[in-house]
Amino acid sequence: MRRILAIIVGALRMWFRSKTTLFWTLAFPVLLMLLFGAIFSVSQNPTFDLYLQNQDITANGEPTQWSKAFCDMLNQTEMFNLHTVDSAENATKFIEEKGIQRLLIIPHGFNSSITVGNNVSIVLKMVPAEVDTASATMRNVINQVVEIFNTVVTGQSPPKMVTVKSESIVSETFKYIDFFAPGIIGMTLMTSGVFGAVAWNTRNKEFGILKKLATTPLSKLEWILGVVLYELIMGAISTIVIITVGVLVFNLKVIPNIFSVILIISGAIAFPGMGMVISRFVKESDSADAAANAITFPMMFLSGSFFPLEFMPDFLRQIANVLPLTYLNNGLRDSMVYGNVSSALLNTLVILSVGIFFIVLGSLITSWREE
Amino acid sequence: MLKNGETKLQEIAIEVNSLVKKYGTLAAVDGISFKVHKGEVFAFVGPNGAGKTTTVEILVCLRNPTSGEAKILGFDINDRKGQQQIRKRIGVLPQDFNTFDLLTVKENLNYYKKMYGEGMDVDALIELVDLKEKANALYKNLSGGLKKRLAIATTLVNDPEVIFLDEPTTGLDPRARRDMWNLIEGLKEKEKTIFLTTHYMDEAEVLADTVAIINFGKIIAMGAPSELILKHGGKTALMVEEGGKPVYDLLSQTLSDVRLENDGDVLVPLKKKSDLPNAVLALDKNKAEFAELIVRRPTLENVFLNLTGKKIVEGELH
Repeated sequence: MRRILAIIVGALRMWFRSKTTLFWTLAFPVLLMLLFGAIFSVSQNPTFDLYLQNQDITANGEPTQWSKAFCDMLNQTEMFNLHTVDSAENATKFIEEKGIQRLLIIPHGFNSSITVGNNVSIVLKMVPAEVDTASATMRNVINQVVEIFNTVVTGQSPPKMVTVKSESIVSETFKYIDFFAPGIIGMTLMTSGVFGAVAWNTRNKEFGILKKLATTPLSKLEWILGVVLYELIMGAISTIVIITVGVLVFNLKVIPNIFSVILIISGAIAFPGMGMVISRFVKESDSADAAANAITFPMMFLSGSFFPLEFMPDFLRQIANVLPLTYLNNGLRDSMVYGNVSSALLNTLVILSVGIFFIVLGSLITSWREE
Repeated sequence: MLKNGETKLQEIAIEVNSLVKKYGTLAAVDGISFKVHKGEVFAFVGPNGAGKTTTVEILVCLRNPTSGEAKILGFDINDRKGQQQIRKRIGVLPQDFNTFDLLTVKENLNYYKKMYGEGMDVDALIELVDLKEKANALYKNLSGGLKKRLAIATTLVNDPEVIFLDEPTTGLDPRARRDMWNLIEGLKEKEKTIFLTTHYMDEAEVLADTVAIINFGKIIAMGAPSELILKHGGKTALMVEEGGKPVYDLLSQTLSDVRLENDGDVLVPLKKKSDLPNAVLALDKNKAEFAELIVRRPTLENVFLNLTGKKIVEGELH
């Protein structure tokens, strides 16, 4: 215990004296929060630029009855900043020339098809087939509009339902900060944990400090616990910083509960444990950094830190299911934001076992002795 | 310092028997055996790659030997329990050791002391290595010589009985090297057993009670420096600086094995007591021209040269 404490206190002293590590634990999470928060959470009522070409016009240049009704309905959602494109324009050419992102085409014969009861498709051109939240949300909204439009066409539902329905879509999707803040916590715990442990090990190896410590009565388990607990303190500090910024600046609503605390502790233990295992296999500091990058970078994007997993293709979701960060992110969201305790419990158990697994593995394979 | 107790000499601090370390087919350490007595400074001397560091790392329980036995203070290095006992009682300075950059001198020493729990008073230790004025300076702000002093101090935090110093002066400027020698002499006065590796022959000659010369994993000679020089160093020689061919011809008439070096110096091995006066008389009588007369005693460098046919320059064989 005395030895573990010495390792932690020493590491904290060095942390406090190093501007780079101070930056990574304190300033970097703040920057991330401010940046992403500013981009996404301000758009409480976001509008998308949507180009609309109505090809279904009458001989005297007026839009047909149903096509006009559809356009009005789109407008009523207040989600779109509609730009009308002349029906004579070549759509493909227009997209290329103007460099626009989204063009919705109501084809010729739209009105007549509806009148006689035939199926008709409207065309939404997006460049490219984007997967970002904005486009996905927009596609959702248009689908909703189409759905309601269909009920209007076929049934007798009053058109005012449109606005009600789409507003509910908006408020569900765009409390993005609630989604994002737990993701940032998860990501920070991962990067600071993995890189912290890797850097700490490789540096001390290069300086001969590990060799020196190996000649003392210090055991390798004590060493690993010292490093991991130090990283746990770092993780806790980063988490507090992130939550504070989220609450103060973006009005983040955090539900305090024991699962969140256990999750953060487990995550803050699992990732440095992973780092200790990586640095056992990769000896030189450059390649250890590269290995840590190779592992953390894909995990950052595939584990739903920045956008919901639902947007990803199936095979990527399969991968996400085996990444520990996925469980940390989901668990944090469930417990901190949604207050969904039962699903947080499962995620907590997963992360906790991953943490224990890496520490045990790390202390088994870490070798004080040289070959 | 050997004189201060013949009884002490009977106690053995390090005992090594037929120690072998193989990497594949290459034997880095090839069956070495030796004993180090308590209170002795034992120097392991040889070029880079001779097996010095490998031997140290086996003795301080960082590496497993392929075969052979070693005991430190009676504890077996091949035994787990023995290793624990050894770690408590030794202090080690690994090769190229640098301690924590962002901790002060005092914090660094306390850090290592905590690994043992008990040991020397850190302030006293700082005074011992003469770092009092720098006690609160960060390691990274120390000069190379002071860094080495702190490194030596870290080996003393647990007040060890045996100290292993792996190339403690490599890379130091001459002044810092002298400084380090004084420090090691100081430890010797405290009757610590010191196992030292170096590729500097002069260092071993100055510091060591016993020298083991190691080359290609084998000890090729061992003993007190004076003994080794007597046995393998060759004769004391008279050097006639810048004597050139005339002096060479003159002295060759009466003395054997006279050598003319490339730089014009003439070397006369002094085999008999009468050789020196005879040579000087001959030079005087013939009014020979030369720069200076110097009587040169052989050193450990001559020993190594005579045994291997090579010199060690900057740690490498030449």
